[in-house]
This record gives sequence, C-alpha cells and structure tokens, in this order.
Amino acid sequence: MAEANAGGTAVGQGSTAGTFTVLVADDNEVAQRLCKRVLEKAGYGVLIAADGLQAVDIAMSQRPAMILMDVAMPGIDGLEAMRRIKEQIPTMPIVIASAHSMASDRERFLAAGADNVLSKPFRLADLIAIVAKLASAT
Amino acid sequence: MALAAIFAVQALADAQPVVAFPLYLTVVLLVSLQQNRVESIAVAVAAATAVLVIPLATAGRASDVAPAVLLAALLLGVAVAMGELARHERQASGEVQRRLSELAGRERRLRATVESAEVGLGLSDLEGRLLQANEPLAAMLGRSRDALAQATLIELTAEQDRDALKDALGMLGSGDITRWQADINQVRADGTPVPVAVFISKLPNTATGEPALLIQVRNTSASRRSDALRDGAAAVRQVIVTSAGLDQALPQVLAALCAHLGWDAGQFWSVDGDRQAMRVRCAWNASGAVVEGFLHASRGLAVANGAGLIGRVWRSGVLAGEADLESSPDLDRLEATRGAGLRSAVAFPVVDGGEVIGVVELVSEQARTPQDDEVTMLATAGVELGQFIRRSDTAQALRRSEADHRAIFERSPFGIARISSGGELMEANPALLHMVEHDEETMRTIAWPDLLHAYDQAAARQHKAPFLAGITDGSSVQVRAATGAGSWLWLQLTATSIPDSSGRPEHVLLMIEDVTVVRETSDKLAEALEAQRDANTNLEKLDRTKSEFLSIVSHEFRTALTGIQGFSELIRDGGLETDEVRAYGGYIFNDADRVNRLIGDMLDLDRMESGRMTMRSAEVDINEVLAEAVSRAVPSATAVEFKSDLDPRLPIVAGDRDRLIQVVSNLVNNAVKYSPEGGTVTVTTRVEGRFALVSVTDTGIGIPAEEIAHVFERFRRVRSGAAQSIPGTGLGLTIVKQIVEMHGGKIWVESAVGHGSSFHFTVPLAPEGAESLQQLRHG
Repeated sequence: MAEANAGGTAVGQGSTAGTFTVLVADDNEVAQRLCKRVLEKAGYGVLIAADGLQAVDIAMSQRPAMILMDVAMPGIDGLEAMRRIKEQIPTMPIVIASAHSMASDRERFLAAGADNVLSKPFRLADLIAIVAKLASAT
Repeated sequence: MALAAIFAVQALADAQPVVAFPLYLTVVLLVSLQQNRVESIAVAVAAATAVLVIPLATAGRASDVAPAVLLAALLLGVAVAMGELARHERQASGEVQRRLSELAGRERRLRATVESAEVGLGLSDLEGRLLQANEPLAAMLGRSRDALAQATLIELTAEQDRDALKDALGMLGSGDITRWQADINQVRADGTPVPVAVFISKLPNTATGEPALLIQVRNTSASRRSDALRDGAAAVRQVIVTSAGLDQALPQVLAALCAHLGWDAGQFWSVDGDRQAMRVRCAWNASGAVVEGFLHASRGLAVANGAGLIGRVWRSGVLAGEADLESSPDLDRLEATRGAGLRSAVAFPVVDGGEVIGVVELVSEQARTPQDDEVTMLATAGVELGQFIRRSDTAQALRRSEADHRAIFERSPFGIARISSGGELMEANPALLHMVEHDEETMRTIAWPDLLHAYDQAAARQHKAPFLAGITDGSSVQVRAATGAGSWLWLQLTATSIPDSSGRPEHVLLMIEDVTVVRETSDKLAEALEAQRDANTNLEKLDRTKSEFLSIVSHEFRTALTGIQGFSELIRDGGLETDEVRAYGGYIFNDADRVNRLIGDMLDLDRMESGRMTMRSAEVDINEVLAEAVSRAVPSATAVEFKSDLDPRLPIVAGDRDRLIQVVSNLVNNAVKYSPEGGTVTVTTRVEGRFALVSVTDTGIGIPAEEIAHVFERFRRVRSGAAQSIPGTGLGLTIVKQIVEMHGGKIWVESAVGHGSSFHFTVPLAPEGAESLQQLRHG
C-alpha cells in the first residue's frame, strides 16, 4: 500500500514535469535490480550506470532528475563522479547510497556535496521517501 | 864646710905652719873621702894655697917658701889620691848594690809573671807531689796554695784520668819520656771538674837538688765550650741536612744539643694547630731515669702563650733561661723539676719567618747560665730548625701530594696515560695496559699511535680539535680500539692539557675509560627503541589496518545485505509474480552465500594469523591435488580452456591436502574469473630443488605493475576497485599466501597487463617416503 501511494505521488509529479528520472549508479547488479524494481514500481524513470565514469556520462547526456550514487565502484568512485557532475550541473540532486554507513561516512559524504545520504542496506520505504522528497522539491 | 874648716885651721895656723899642716891634711882627707872628685881637689887646692900664703907673704926668700910648696904639693897629692881611693871604693860598693837590686827586680817580675800567667804552673817531685804552685793554678782548681802544696797531681785529677796520669808520671820518673801532655779533667775542691790541658816536663838535673817536674796546666773549659758549641751547631746542622722529616730530626737535634752542650734533657714544644697552646712534640733524655719524671710531667701539658719559661719564650721570641728553677714562676712543673733534681733550664724559640712555631727547652741538673756564645749558638739553631720545619713541612706536603698522585695513577680503575706535547706516550698506568691488553712497549709503539689516530678521526667527526691542538677543556671522545687480544672496545678518551710553570702545555693527561658495556647497552637500547618505534608503527599500521578492515568488512556485509534485505522485503510485501519471487530468492541466496563465505574466510584468516589453525602434515601428491582442483572448477568455467603440464616424477610433499586444494582452487578460480572468454588456464608442476613448484597461469587481464606487490593483501581487490564486478571476498589470496607459508613454501606472481598472470608457489618435498610413492606411481 505504501508503495502504491508513493508511486502515485511520483507519477503525479512525473506527469506534471515529464517523468521524474532517477540515475542509479551502482556496480552491484543486485543493488541495481533492487533499486530499478522499487523506483519504477513507484512511478519514477530509472537509468542505470555500473561505474563512476558511466554515471558521469549518463548524467551529462541524459540529465536525470536526480542521481542515487554508490561510492565503492571501479574506475572513479561515486564521490569523484559526484564532484565531476556537480562541477557541470551544480543543481543536480545527488543522494549517496553506500554500504559505508558509519556515522563518519555520512558526514564525509555530505561534506563532499551530497544532497542526502542513504545507508545500505535500506528499507524500501526510506529509498522512496528520499526520492519523493527530492521530487516534490523540484 | 870644708873650706870653713880650712879657714879655721888657717887662723890657728898663723902661729905655726907646722902645726897647721896636719890639720890641713886631716881636713883634706875627710873631704876627699866624703866629697866627689872636684870638691876634694878644690879643698886640697884651698888647703895648699893656705899653706903657701903665709910663707910667701912673710918670707921673701925662696928657701923659706920651698917647704911650704912641698907641703902644699903633698896636701894636694894626698887629697887627690885619697879622693880617688875613696871614690873607687864607693864605686865598687854601688855596683854590688845595683846588681842586688836588679836581681830582686827580676825576681819580682818573674814572680809576677808566674803569678799572673794564664796558665797554672807548679813544680812537683817525680811522684807528683806539688812543691810549688802559682796562684792561677790554685784558682783554677779552687784551692788555696797551701792546700795545693799538700796535694798530689793524682789527687787533683778526675777519677777517669788518674790512670793515664799515673802512667805518665811513671814514665817521666824512669826517664822514658821527658815531657807529657794531655787533655784531662781535674777536680776543684768542690768536686766540679775542670777541663784542662796539662803539660808536664822533667826539669834537667841541677847541681843543687832532686829532679823535679814542671807542670803547666791550662784551663780549657772556655775553648772546650766554644768547641762544643761549634760541634753542637755542626751536629744540629748535620741532622737537619740529612733528615727526611721533622719527626726523624727532632730527637737527633735534641740529642746533639744535650751531648755537645752538656744539658741533661731536651724537649721540643710545638704550637698547636689553633695556636692556643704549646705541647711537647718530642723529648730527649740524655741523663737518666731521674729526669724521666720531669719529661713525663711535661708530656701532655698545654702551655699558654706567656705562661712559664716556655710561654715567655713563645711570646717574646727570644731565648730565656732559668738559672734557678726553684725561683722560677713555672709552677706547673716545679714539683717535677724538684723531683728530677733539675736546677737550671734554657729555652729558645724555633722561628720561621719571624713567627715562633716551637720552643726548644734544655734542662740541667747544674746551675747554668748560658753565656753569650751559647746564646748565639742556640738562637741560630732555633732559626735553622725553623727553616727546616718549614722545608720539611713543604717537602712532606709535596711528598704526600706526589704519593697521592702516584697512588691514583697506579691504582685507578681508569686508564691514565701521560702524553708528551709531541704526542708520544710517556707513561701508561697498569689499568690502561690491562684494559687494552698490551705491554707498555707495544702500547707505546703500536697501540697508542692507533688510538691517537682514532681520536683525531672521532674528534674531526664531532668538529672538535685534534688531540695535540689545544686540548684545554678536558673534552671527551669515544673511539673504537682493538685490544692486544684482538677484541674490540669502545674507549672514552678525556684529555687534559697540563701546563708547565710558564703556562705552555707541557704534557697531556689522558683518562681512558672502557665504555664498551655502556656503549653496547646504549646501542642495544637504541636498537630496542628503534624496534619499539617500528613496533609502534606496526601497531599503528595494524590499528589502521584493523579499522580499515572493519570498514571494508562491514561494507562487504552491508552490500550483500542490501540485496538480501531489499528483496526479502519485496517478497514479504507480496504482490509479486512467481518468477519474480524465484529470481529474487536467487539473489537473496547468492548474497547470503557470499556473506557466509566472507565469514568463513575471515575466521580462517584470523585462525591462521593468530597461529590457532593447525595444518595436518600428511603425504600429499600435488599432481592429484591439482587435478582435483581443476575438476572442481571446470563445470562453472565453460568459457576457458584448461591445460595441465604435470611433472610425473614429482615426489610427494608433506602437507595438508584439504588446505592445498583450497590454495590451488583459489588460484584456478581467480584465473578463470579474470580470463576473458576463450582464455586458457594452465596448471604446471615441477621439482625445484627440494620443493615442488606449482604454477597457475592465465591469459587474462593481468595485474598492473604497481598492484603486483599488493595482490596478497586482504581486500586489496576491493580497495583497488579492479575487477569489482568479479565476485570474491577479497581475502582469497591472503589466505592462500598464509597456507603456503604455513607449509614452509613461498608464493609469488608474475604478470603483464593484457597478457595474463602466473601465480607460482612452492611446497617442500617430504623428506622420506618420496621414493616409495614414486615407486607406487610408476609401479
């Protein structure tokens, strides 16, 4: 039920300003699938990047509404990718979703410019709430 | 008167010339006998003229005058003749008178001479009985001349000299000798001795009487005293010159003074250190037990400045005497002096630089008052003794100092060497020779030059002056030196420049200390500190590694849990298609499995690293292990080709089969994972010395050069981000390395990016049974 409600909200927003698209940047296939499944079910558009460089490329080319960014990725990590993206598109909302979930990590990510932080593993409702919040602010 | 008589006669004769003539003649004769020649002639002429005057005046005839002239001439002739006769007679008797008085005068003079002579003179018979003696002799012997006249020489002579005198008299009497002389003592009436020089000569046998002896006696007490004073002064001087120290000299000085000057005892009083009192430092008893009581009473007595004879001399600084101790104010010792029968004393100061440092006291059983010459002699002795005391004090201090230094040099536990200003070793103490195990000659010729060289090098390193250039500060340098026995020491050299009297460096005193133990200890300490620092660094590293490890592990777990939690939540919430549920279940299983493997690997690694994992040691056929591992990998690795190049003669190894399979499987799985489709994985075995060499080679992506050194570190894969998409715990190679090393082997990797990697490891061959297995296999 919660999922349906959340999805409804997203769809509603997506319909007003086109589909609210989330770029999920994660090298872990299980995580990609989970996020894609949950967010699409909630009514958001989902783009997938398997590493940092891909994330930067897709963010530039596809201009998603926001990015859900893992940190530990091959090539450049999520933080570096975030830096590059924010350099080009300072307004791009980026939520760091990392299994580095100690308290110090959270501070570290926010200091690096993250708009929000989602600790892995996460409750599905938390993921939807974060995205919904950004979607409503847009 | 004669003329008056003549004129009286003439008046009478007027009547008759013939009557007048005999009267004239009588007058002339009387006058001639009484008067001198001129007077008697004048009287005669007057008488003759008187005879002639009347006849010439009265008778005119020559014939009447003639008898008158005859009478006148007769008168004249008689007068002259009588006058001459009388005068001659008078002259003869005057000569005798004169001679007699001359003789008496001479006798007087002789007597006066004899009596006033300095020598005593006497005349004795051959037995020595005195016949005559002069006053000086009497005075010398303190007797009257009458008493002397009844004495014999023997009686007058002191007991000890009597035999010699008797012998001499005997020989003189027999005529064997004619004279004898000797220094003997005679005795005065009161018994006191008188030193004399006696000279006895036998008088020639005169016609008148018995042979006699002339005895000359000279009182030699004065010359003997001056001799004694001179000898005493010389003896004191001799003692002072030859003595090593004051305590050796003092008794000898006192003994010399007593012996030469005839005092019965002497004491040396010295001033206390605090100058509050004088005490006896040395005493000499030249007399006997009686004096001992007095010396004993003096011993331990503290005499204050100004008190008694000693104190007075101390205060005044001049010699003083007590001719009569009974009236002396020295009450302290009056009883003792009485008991000892002492009657007189003299004390003179021992002076150094105008300061009284001691007093010498001499006492006598006789009443003595020192005369001027003795006073002078004693005062001089006091000054000489004072100078000697200062010299000997100085010398003693010097000797003590020298002895101290010598003892330090000889017995010091430190090595000490004296080095000349030219750098030559002058002297090395026993401790130094013992320390460096050289004899003195070797030390001087070989060891010291080496040491000097080492010193200069060490000094140069520390920016200090070389040994010979300006050592004034006692600077220390540590050098390494070889001993005579060939071992090595750390020596600390401390050099101090010793200046001569003009201030120029005369030699260098070198203290040498064996600091080997200290140095080695400090080296060890430094090593230990270094090790501690390393350990700390390691600990810090370990700490970092540990928190890094925790961070990575939690990340790995959470990553796996993300799928597990997320998909299980989806499933729980329902509304899924059946194939969705199945797919999600698969994800959950895989991640759960991954978590399980991760936990297993971590526990394995922990057990291995903490040494709690035990390896079974059994005979293992490595070729069989490889085959097993490959066969396990093949089903899931369909995209790669496997090649095996196994040495059939490979001996068995000693090891844990399961663990070795784990190693090979890990390497093979890695090779498969990193190989592209169509790649080749080759396993080979070889004998390499006493080891079995196993290699797993792939044709995969390879490992960058900078990563090769780190491939065996835990979670390196994760950190590097390389091949992130390839699953693994990141602990596999770390575990592999641990297992290989626990078997006593090594593991390493060769790789080139784009060409693939080769992992090699060795396992020691089993020492026994190898051959039997060989047999088994070929059999």
